[in-house]
Amino acid sequence: MPSKTYKTSETVDFVIVGSGASGGIMARELARAGHSVIVMEQGPRLAPHEFDHDELKIRHLSGITNNPVSSPQSFRRDPAQKAERMRGRNALTYARVVGGSSSHFNANFWRLHEIDFIEGSRLGSIPGASLVDWPITYAELEPYYTKVEWEVGVSGLAGASPFDPWRSKPYPMPPLPVKSSGVLFERGARKLGLHPFPAPMAINSIYYKNRPPCAQCGLCGGFGCEVMAKSSSVWTVIPEAEATGRCEVRPESYVFRIGMNKAGRATGVHYFDHDRKEQFQNARAVVVCANGGETPKLLLNSATNSQPEGLANSSGAVGRYLMHNKGGGAQARFEHPLNEYKGANVTRILHDFYDSDPQRGFYGGGGFDARSGGPLTWGQDVPDGTPGWGAGFKEYLESYTFWMNCSGHGTSLAVESNRVDIDPELKDDWGVPAIRVTYKDHPDDIKHAKWQVERAVEIMDAAGAKQIVPGEVGNTTGGVHLLGTCRMGNDPASSVIDKYHRTHDVKNLFLCDGSSMVTSGRGQPTQTIEALAFRAADYINRFARANEI
Amino acid sequence: MDQPIPSRRQFLTAIGNLTSAGWIAINWPQIAFAAEQAGHAGHDMHDMPPPPATLTTLNAADAADVDAVANLIVPGGATPGARDARVVYFIDNALGSFFADQLPAFRQGLAEFRRGLAAKYGADKPFAAMPEAQQIAWLRTVDTAPFFSAVRRLTVLGLIAMPKYGGNHDNVGWKLIGVEDNHYWEPPFGYYDRDYAGFEPYPGTKPYTA
Repeated sequence: MPSKTYKTSETVDFVIVGSGASGGIMARELARAGHSVIVMEQGPRLAPHEFDHDELKIRHLSGITNNPVSSPQSFRRDPAQKAERMRGRNALTYARVVGGSSSHFNANFWRLHEIDFIEGSRLGSIPGASLVDWPITYAELEPYYTKVEWEVGVSGLAGASPFDPWRSKPYPMPPLPVKSSGVLFERGARKLGLHPFPAPMAINSIYYKNRPPCAQCGLCGGFGCEVMAKSSSVWTVIPEAEATGRCEVRPESYVFRIGMNKAGRATGVHYFDHDRKEQFQNARAVVVCANGGETPKLLLNSATNSQPEGLANSSGAVGRYLMHNKGGGAQARFEHPLNEYKGANVTRILHDFYDSDPQRGFYGGGGFDARSGGPLTWGQDVPDGTPGWGAGFKEYLESYTFWMNCSGHGTSLAVESNRVDIDPELKDDWGVPAIRVTYKDHPDDIKHAKWQVERAVEIMDAAGAKQIVPGEVGNTTGGVHLLGTCRMGNDPASSVIDKYHRTHDVKNLFLCDGSSMVTSGRGQPTQTIEALAFRAADYINRFARANEI
Repeated sequence: MDQPIPSRRQFLTAIGNLTSAGWIAINWPQIAFAAEQAGHAGHDMHDMPPPPATLTTLNAADAADVDAVANLIVPGGATPGARDARVVYFIDNALGSFFADQLPAFRQGLAEFRRGLAAKYGADKPFAAMPEAQQIAWLRTVDTAPFFSAVRRLTVLGLIAMPKYGGNHDNVGWKLIGVEDNHYWEPPFGYYDRDYAGFEPYPGTKPYTA
């Protein structure tokens, strides 16, 4: 069915900026409620066959991600330093296609646990960090986690982990078939008295919602799924939004400023179309779902005379408290081939170390999984003691199928000076002022990551690994989990949005994506972002019905 | 159809106690159909344009030296190496297109490499024409230089990237690392998941399925 199209001169009910994990859900929910909706997406719309298996293109040439050549960013560790333009890769990486980062994610779908929402009051303040409670609880989000699992499609085994938070329904699909890495991880962890369990994944394990099960191609992380088994917005909620006849998805439409009137209301969005021609789309309300990097950038680039520090930024919190998910792990070699290039990326995880334990002497918690990487990227590095060239290096390359990763995924503390703002000089190819990232790990994040490396080594040793290469814990210079930069809160003086995702400062401007998160969670944020989107859309629809937007 | 009616086999799959072959028996027709619909019935490369097989960026002398370095990074012998994979065509193609921004530094690095070589061994003989023992001895003195790192990086990329980029000729690179040329897979995937006994629930837990 051809998608509905609107003219820029028409005033639609909602413009949604971004078509990813949250934008797609927002579009479906608002359109199904009867609203006219346009989804603006910076990148192109790719057909299934265009999501190919080309690791060079995807991982080394920014095939479907923001390209550091055309969309540059700068980076510095300390606010006193001058930020330098990043070369080769950007600090903040996201997918720039319809479907956003839900197109290229690994599809690990972990719910937050109850503790994630209340750590501020449970653990008290941590020097150098802003660890605060969320304005909502797990109980408030639980129905929406369930909605994600059933509406978008998640496979897993409910109740398998003794550490799982309570849930109202099981997963709609059984777990994916286990891989050798999952078997070894499970073997090692069980020997240590830990509780590994089948990984919840946003990948079909059976035919579900008119989409086939996983083809086990082995290329989830970074890649789009051409068989549509991965539950990416582009294959799930976006077609459903379009099927209402009220939603237009407008690809290659780069929103660079939110239009405002003198009354302090958003009037629509200024954007560059696919010919890089400037356009303006009228709308009654704007919902920004552009990700934790692009959302604050858009607000800061939308400063007005009455909001000179950036739109919706009376708190000064826009762009601040940037979090990734710090973690540490180990690579391990086994006696026989695992063939980790086959099968979905992750099949077993554990959450025994999820909670922060003050007895460790530092804040931090997380999960572990068994996972793999593509050969092209793997072959670039060698473990200490392995020759970097010659016969010994060749022998190492020949061992590719014998390796796996045991990866820890953990917390990053919210630090006020870790932030996204606008570089004073750097501009992108469209002439839009570029993102400047300032980021320095909190000391506890480093300690926790090193602690995770030790646990990963233990698990791989217990699994019978012949060689273990502990991961190196370095300074964070960027990431793909872009969290916390427009945090939600009840107090307009210290947060950007309220608990319903409405900006405190602009009544008809809503934000929903990783930027909304108050704490980082433990590594796999997408299901939470999607649950937040279902919840926010619920409330936005209620406000619209009550004429309160 | 929103959801198939759960069967006993699906329940067994759910708790991980179904053999891998069972999983594939349930799902294979839909997977194969989906893959065909996506235009990926086989591997991508079946439908690919032929890879570049002539030099367009490097001259013959440059290419000979780069090829010699690459073939010492991943030597041939009992199994094919970088030369057999035609890595030099990948490097030439890369530096002329998607890595063109690296070309000036690459040329400068190659010139320095040659100047150093001439100072040590005399200017009359190119690297490519030196005896292998001498080549290895020289590389050991420069293998931390940015130029060597660049050639090494490009060699690995050229060995393993898709053949359409010029290297990985005849899947030599994939064969070397043990990767089979298929687009999709069915379990068992490796040695350790063949005899997996199934997921055993922990005391006090009650795994449940839809």
